[in-house]
Amino acid sequence: MIKLLKTLCEIPAVSGREDKLREFILNEVSPYCEAKTDINGNIICFKKGKKTPLKKIMLDAHMDEVGIIATLITDDGFIKFQTVGGIEVGVMLCKGVTFENGVKGVVGMKPVHLSNADERKKFPGEEALYIDIGATSKEQAEEVIKPGDVAVFDSKVTLLGQDKIKARAIDDRAGVACLITLLKEEAEFDFYATFTVQEEIGCRGAGPATFEVQPDFAIILEATTAADIHGTDEENRVCLLGSGPAVSFMDNGTLYNRKLFDAARTSKVLHQTKNFVAGGNNSHAISLSKSGVATIAVSLPCRYIHSPCCVADLGDLENMLLLVKELTYKIGLGEVL
Amino acid sequence: MNTEIIKKLSEAVGIGHLDGAKAVAKEELGKYCAVRDFGSIGLIGEINQNKEKTVMLEAHIDEVGFIVTYVFDDGFVKLKNVGGNDCRILPALPIVIHAKTKTPAVFVSTPPHLNKDNGALSIDDTFADTGLGEKAKEIVSPGDFATFDSEFTPLGKNRICSKSLDDRVAVACLIEVASRLYSKELPVNVVFCLSEQEELGTRGARCASFEIDCDEAVCLDVSFGDAPDVPSSKCGKLGGGAMIGISPILNRKISDKLCLIAKEKEIPHQFEVMGGSTGTDADVISVSKTGIGCGLVSIPLRNMHTCLEVVDLSDLDSVCDILENYIISGGAL
Repeated sequence: MIKLLKTLCEIPAVSGREDKLREFILNEVSPYCEAKTDINGNIICFKKGKKTPLKKIMLDAHMDEVGIIATLITDDGFIKFQTVGGIEVGVMLCKGVTFENGVKGVVGMKPVHLSNADERKKFPGEEALYIDIGATSKEQAEEVIKPGDVAVFDSKVTLLGQDKIKARAIDDRAGVACLITLLKEEAEFDFYATFTVQEEIGCRGAGPATFEVQPDFAIILEATTAADIHGTDEENRVCLLGSGPAVSFMDNGTLYNRKLFDAARTSKVLHQTKNFVAGGNNSHAISLSKSGVATIAVSLPCRYIHSPCCVADLGDLENMLLLVKELTYKIGLGEVL
Repeated sequence: MNTEIIKKLSEAVGIGHLDGAKAVAKEELGKYCAVRDFGSIGLIGEINQNKEKTVMLEAHIDEVGFIVTYVFDDGFVKLKNVGGNDCRILPALPIVIHAKTKTPAVFVSTPPHLNKDNGALSIDDTFADTGLGEKAKEIVSPGDFATFDSEFTPLGKNRICSKSLDDRVAVACLIEVASRLYSKELPVNVVFCLSEQEELGTRGARCASFEIDCDEAVCLDVSFGDAPDVPSSKCGKLGGGAMIGISPILNRKISDKLCLIAKEKEIPHQFEVMGGSTGTDADVISVSKTGIGCGLVSIPLRNMHTCLEVVDLSDLDSVCDILENYIISGGAL
């Protein structure tokens, strides 16, 4: 699964432009399940298990990632842009980007030498940023980039020590990697798997996908902020790398189903709770589909999330897979009602 | 211009005692002249044709980076700047710590729930994450250097970006000039000086220019390139040619001669006028020993002192053309 995660993190899939990743996933899972694509680009899979559970189970991971979109080409041939999804200005400065057609660029900035004391202490506004693609004129830039083109930040997938990975888009390729793995394995119970689009711009893909599947239970496979950075107070750490997947009780979008939460908490698989009410994910859209869906989120703790250099623990990923598998089994058996 | 050499030079490490960049420069420059290594001063190469006069061409070989000051039990590392880094670029910045083994690490990015005022952290308030946990102390030690983890990347039609283009593009130019000159009969001897510790306050050049016997010197460095947020009065234009320095600390005859050559040979050039110190090795070389007449030619560069600096290759060609002709003409003094 580690190799799979590495491969997945290298495929660009900015919200709304998930095409390359969708193609990859379809190739991977089609031999193992019934897979179809909807009008928005969501992949909806049905996996036949040994038994059919009384209640319908859906597992969800989102395909898309944060990135940037070109909005304007200046007279000097620089590219102005907006973020697609939330990216902090600090992580963008002087980082390399690659557009869909392979064109490389750098988010440029005024050198520190020419910045005054105030400027040095704070990040420039997002509206001041620009991408330098090496064009010498507007015309030269227009030959290769047009408004609406999207790009991702460059990041080499690197192992930190033996057990940690540094990569772009671990949010939510971690979930995608688990889902692909589960679809390839033999399943005890039937389940649906959705690979959804446009999560980062407001959980827009998950609604229609859930409406189509009509599940009773949903498990959302995600990545979430780990703030276990040196010097951070214990109560602000949200969750920790190496302590297993984080199970949410509440975030800004969802109050999670208590029975599912309790079922997760009784698992022997190493896990932790997400100890902060912040952020949100597809659970919001999924839990409110039709007359409501019992929903739980299981997330891979991830440092520096939404940056070009996310850091996560590979043991946590294995435990995330085990916990999701166990929860699916418990739901299938009818143990969670 | 041979970008293969620039790639090798810029991806190599040249900070403190780490002499990867020096090794590349020594090998490349060594193809054209005898090169001596003066330790923490730098490298000195010489095309000696037993002429009366010697002209020094100088660039610095070191780069900005970081040095480890403390390793915590949880695998996070405290660092200090080596040279003038821009700390706004640190969040989620990948670096390589040159420890017992090459150790990749990432500067932390403070999650939004903990950074309510959205301020940039100084190097004293941030950490790098090695992901090694308690094992970090076995591998990383105080005093280990760290550098940006960036790859050399071609940009657009004729531009490149990488770490350390300040001042490796100038080093590459000196190697190119050596390759053009070494087999010719020249009116002067030429000494190539690649100084260390420029980023710490032009230290290597201070001693190197004492070590070298020369009658005049031309320094080669980078300067600010044009960008949307840089005032046009304070920068050169990328692709606009070599920036010929004019300043009270520079020798006017040398500056004039550099301008004259650029004009006569129709080599693209622009002027960089400074009211005093140039912020380059020329500041110390010009007052070394009893004084050495000094000129300055600069290459416009964007994003100075960051992980991805940008230059236009045509400017390097202009610089090489001017320096080659300057030597062939016998210098100015």
